[in-house]
Amino acid sequence: MEFLHLLALGFGEAMTPMNLGFCLLGALLGTLIGVLPGIGPTATIAVLLPITFYLPPLAGIIMLSGIYYGAQYGGSTTAILVNLPGEASSVVTAIDGYKMAQKGKAGSALAVAALGSFFAGTVSTFGIAVAGPTLSSFALSFGPAEYVSLMLFGLLAATVLARGSVLKAIGMILLGLVLGMVGIDAASGEERLTFSAIELFDGIDFVVIAIGVFGFTEIIENLENVEARGVLVSKLSRLWPTREDFQKAWPAVLRGTGIGTFLGILPGGGATLASFCAYSLEKKVAKNPREFGNGAVQGVAGPEAANNAGAQSSFIPLLTLGIPSNNMMAMMLSAFIIHGITPGPTVLQNQPEIFWGLVASMWVGNLMLVVINLPLIGVWVKLLTVPYRLLYPAILLFCCVGVYSINNRIFDVVLAAGFGLLGYLFRKAKCEPGPLLLGFVLGPLLETNVRRALVISHGSPSVFFERPISLVLLLATAAMFILMVLPSFRKTREVAFQEEEA
Amino acid sequence: MADPRKVGETGNRPDLLTAVMFVGIGALGLWAGRDLTMGTASTMGPGYLPRIVCWLLVLVGLAVGGIGLFRAREDIAAPKLRPLSIILLSVVGFAFIAEYFGFVAASVWLLVIGSLADRESRWREVILLTAGLTAFGALVFIVGLGVQMPIWPFWE
Repeated sequence: MEFLHLLALGFGEAMTPMNLGFCLLGALLGTLIGVLPGIGPTATIAVLLPITFYLPPLAGIIMLSGIYYGAQYGGSTTAILVNLPGEASSVVTAIDGYKMAQKGKAGSALAVAALGSFFAGTVSTFGIAVAGPTLSSFALSFGPAEYVSLMLFGLLAATVLARGSVLKAIGMILLGLVLGMVGIDAASGEERLTFSAIELFDGIDFVVIAIGVFGFTEIIENLENVEARGVLVSKLSRLWPTREDFQKAWPAVLRGTGIGTFLGILPGGGATLASFCAYSLEKKVAKNPREFGNGAVQGVAGPEAANNAGAQSSFIPLLTLGIPSNNMMAMMLSAFIIHGITPGPTVLQNQPEIFWGLVASMWVGNLMLVVINLPLIGVWVKLLTVPYRLLYPAILLFCCVGVYSINNRIFDVVLAAGFGLLGYLFRKAKCEPGPLLLGFVLGPLLETNVRRALVISHGSPSVFFERPISLVLLLATAAMFILMVLPSFRKTREVAFQEEEA
Repeated sequence: MADPRKVGETGNRPDLLTAVMFVGIGALGLWAGRDLTMGTASTMGPGYLPRIVCWLLVLVGLAVGGIGLFRAREDIAAPKLRPLSIILLSVVGFAFIAEYFGFVAASVWLLVIGSLADRESRWREVILLTAGLTAFGALVFIVGLGVQMPIWPFWE
């Protein structure tokens, strides 16, 4: 009965007028940026992070997570109607969704996507509610050695599952770790890597890096790639799936939800990976694989359910272990830290209203999203015609005010511009910036725990191998490393990611 | 666009650029932290982990570069200087103007100069957009959220 009691507590928190309002705001913003190509949830959350400082902790976090899963709904709308995926996670939805729309079944595809997402969102919310307390009570027995091994495992896994070169991703993580070390060393009080700049003594602010690398770099990048603008919107028909579509769709939704929930938990996983995997699975289990690419309803239902489930279940490692699994979660982690809350097992014990309030708000938010997306679809489609030249100045202004407001100083804005340039160079060098963010937020945590573990063991590294949980995690890390070096695995991985790009 | 992969030649340029940046930043970190005490594993000094991580970064950079030398040739997409320089200039200018002349002046600078980055910008739109966003920003950020920034120049 305690479970129900806690869930009731969560709904009580989520249903306060203020939190409901911010949940709605997040869902609306998420849908908006999901619909608009060129602005992703990562950039949006980076821009809005400093603003959440002015809100109560739960309200800010509810809004930011609403943006993340809201973007999954919005992204599918444009993928289906105009063959223009608003988000990376809805790239595969466009394949069959747009074909369905061309055949006059746009309404059916949209309804399947929205209802499938809602179902997946409900299941994965429930998953978080169940897994949360279990995992976090397990995590309470973790000592510094376990945390070090867990973080190493998480960081390496994130590079394997993320797209792009593994070696480059490892380099980006190391770079993130170095950036995280800038400032005064907590243990000795000595300043390091600051080049004697007083402004750097407190370390580099997360928002500065996030806005530089995701905000400014993305604007510059988008302005460079002038695409053929101007879109053709398919006509909308009845907004309800036919019985036949419905029967084909629901098993796919179930499978997608399962895959999404599972992949979301893995480090480096999340919405995008989940939707790609769900699509390939649907193609494999289909009786008639030739339908795929020609408007198979399963090709919409599976990935859409999976990306929503993945978006939500990626909160599990963050909320229970305090370890973010992808760059979105790194953002969320810093949103917690802005308010002085360190996510992890202790939050569940000491501030249950935060955890349960967030979980409940996710379900409420999903419900809102179905309403926002289905009847109001026409409004969102109109937004598609807004050209980028009118959008980016607004984003630019939000970025600048956001960075400036952290400490009210010029230095941060100039530094963020510098990171914008660095991010641009890394794009040119084909390095994904996500792992850098992950390394940056995990860096201080990793260093503290390495130090603690080695102090306890008097400097002997055997502490990492003697504790069973730590040993298992390290073995898993080593196994992953060996797999990566094996040529056959590398080839499979390359093929898997090439399918994505096609 | 021409195929960036040219047959027969080697040297993956994005990889080489990565290598230069990784090695460069790693070396910079090692240089900046040259005076930090190492300490021992049980009593780590402030320089212990930074040094390890910077060396690893240099090594990874060398590995990426080494492999890149032998991979098929691929060129870096040609950079366009206009958006890059204009966006960075408008952002840096915003910070200085905001400090000394307040939000309105900074926002007008940012939006007008920033709009030059896109060749498709039209003057009428830019003026309307600037006026609207500046008013919105002043109300929401400074009056509403209380960001510490004067609205007008010389406002004390």
